[in-house]
Amino acid sequence: MISRDAVLSIVGKELGDGLRNRWIWTVSALIATSVLAIAFFGAAPVGVTGRQGGGVVIASLVNLAVYLVPLLALLLGCGAVIDEKQRGTLDLILVYPISLGEYFSGAFLGFALALTIAIAVGFGVSGIVLMSWFEIEVGAYLGLAGLAVALGVVFLSLSFLVSIAARDRSRAVVSLVFVWIFSVFVFDLLLLGLLVVSGGELPAALFSTLLLMNPTDVFRLLCFKWISGVASPLGLTTAMPFVPSTLLLGVALLAWGALPLIVSYSLFRHRVANETLT
Amino acid sequence: MIRLAGVSKRFGQVEALRQLDLEIRSGEWLGVFGHNGSGKTTLIRTIVGLSKPSSGQLTLDGKSPTQKDWRIFRRKLGFMPERVSFYEHLTGAQTLRFFCRLRGLDDKVVAPMLERVGLAQAAGRKIGGYSKGMRQRLNLAQALLGDPEILILDEPIEGLDPRGVRDFFQLLRSGATGTVVMSSHRLSEVCDQVDRACVLVDGESKALGSVDEICESLALPVTVYLYPTQPFNGTLRAALSDLGASSVLQRTDVLVVEVSQRNKTVFLMGLHAHRQAIRHVRVQEPSMERAFFDIP
Repeated sequence: MISRDAVLSIVGKELGDGLRNRWIWTVSALIATSVLAIAFFGAAPVGVTGRQGGGVVIASLVNLAVYLVPLLALLLGCGAVIDEKQRGTLDLILVYPISLGEYFSGAFLGFALALTIAIAVGFGVSGIVLMSWFEIEVGAYLGLAGLAVALGVVFLSLSFLVSIAARDRSRAVVSLVFVWIFSVFVFDLLLLGLLVVSGGELPAALFSTLLLMNPTDVFRLLCFKWISGVASPLGLTTAMPFVPSTLLLGVALLAWGALPLIVSYSLFRHRVANETLT
Repeated sequence: MIRLAGVSKRFGQVEALRQLDLEIRSGEWLGVFGHNGSGKTTLIRTIVGLSKPSSGQLTLDGKSPTQKDWRIFRRKLGFMPERVSFYEHLTGAQTLRFFCRLRGLDDKVVAPMLERVGLAQAAGRKIGGYSKGMRQRLNLAQALLGDPEILILDEPIEGLDPRGVRDFFQLLRSGATGTVVMSSHRLSEVCDQVDRACVLVDGESKALGSVDEICESLALPVTVYLYPTQPFNGTLRAALSDLGASSVLQRTDVLVVEVSQRNKTVFLMGLHAHRQAIRHVRVQEPSMERAFFDIP
């Protein structure tokens, strides 16, 4: 039987720890200021300057979210579990009448809540200003913020996996920096390189499948499909007419969130059982 | 209730526990002694289920525990680990509230517990500002939450001064906990507190029983200190050998005599004949510390 009190206690503790993390609020503030800067001073990522229309602003924010939201999630989750172990509190907690599953789910929920709050604050503060200055559709903006939370949860899930697999916190941080760089920069470059090498003859199905291999691309494509008015500024309609269906993209993002989490929980159980979680 | 039968624990090439047989009886206080690296912490971790035996069997109430059994067992268990850094940003009260909820207890028990361990005044202070002794008391407080039936304490008096040790045992005695297992390498302070002792040497149980039983099984001699009325002369020394002393050591103003347990009574009675030459006699039974060093 699941002990609700125990899980809630872990959630509350991790939420509190997450909200105390100064880096989280630094990135959250960066999101807010970047949103405003992009809106007011030009949508540089899409090559347009000056006060922009709603679609252009949202499109710029999609690109901004791709960079900052994974960073926020990775900063938050890099010490998940491993910090407790190094502090000695994990062993103590596990001697209480709480199962590994309860502890793990409580910890993840706590971190995910902290992440959601940080993203909500970042997008919320800037959103209020944006709504009063630009013709931005509230639904589109909220949709973007919601998808940003989903992207954050995906990277939180990845950070849990890396944190549990790593020997110590410093190795976890280094590995997560590589995950971020690969996902945000390197993967797309490799994909472009592949397109160039193939002379643009890459089969559409293969290209679509490759796009699903990177959660940030899945996020971009979901924004393109879901949020009206951003397709054109993102330059996706002409370059990629073979975008996977919304359902497939949704399932892909869900899988990106769930699979690392399932693997990390299984690894967590294994490392606790074998006493290799140092 | 808790029984280890032929338990061994291996970490790669290192054998931390070897063929350990141990039964923790309900209501007893058991001391686990040994040098650093002798396997005390591994044994404690095995008892609380954090470490699984490489071979041998651990049983709880006569059966090999399932996850459910461990959970039931842990409801009545308090554990004080040797090394733990509580959350520095939380206050003592917040920390106890967190552990209280993990145990499924009402928050109301926090304030009385802080009072009991002498941290009531510091309840609202962040742990970052706690001294080592205060942290140790907080560690004990979380273990005592809900007055568990069984307490497992790993090096609980490590780093405490003599007064802290005294307070610690007073606190422990004041609770309702019946069964206590505590590891330590500070024998002199702990061995008087426990009913039985288990001495670990390189992961092997070299002695198990009450302190008296262990000393008796090792046939350790009694030490008798004789303070003479006159400056020493050879007569008394020779007489002591005749009375059965196994060794006589002369110090400035005292003769330190070792007598086997078997000869103790005869020796002490024999001293009566030399009462004119002896001002004071002090008899010291073999200590656990001595036993510890004499265990092969």
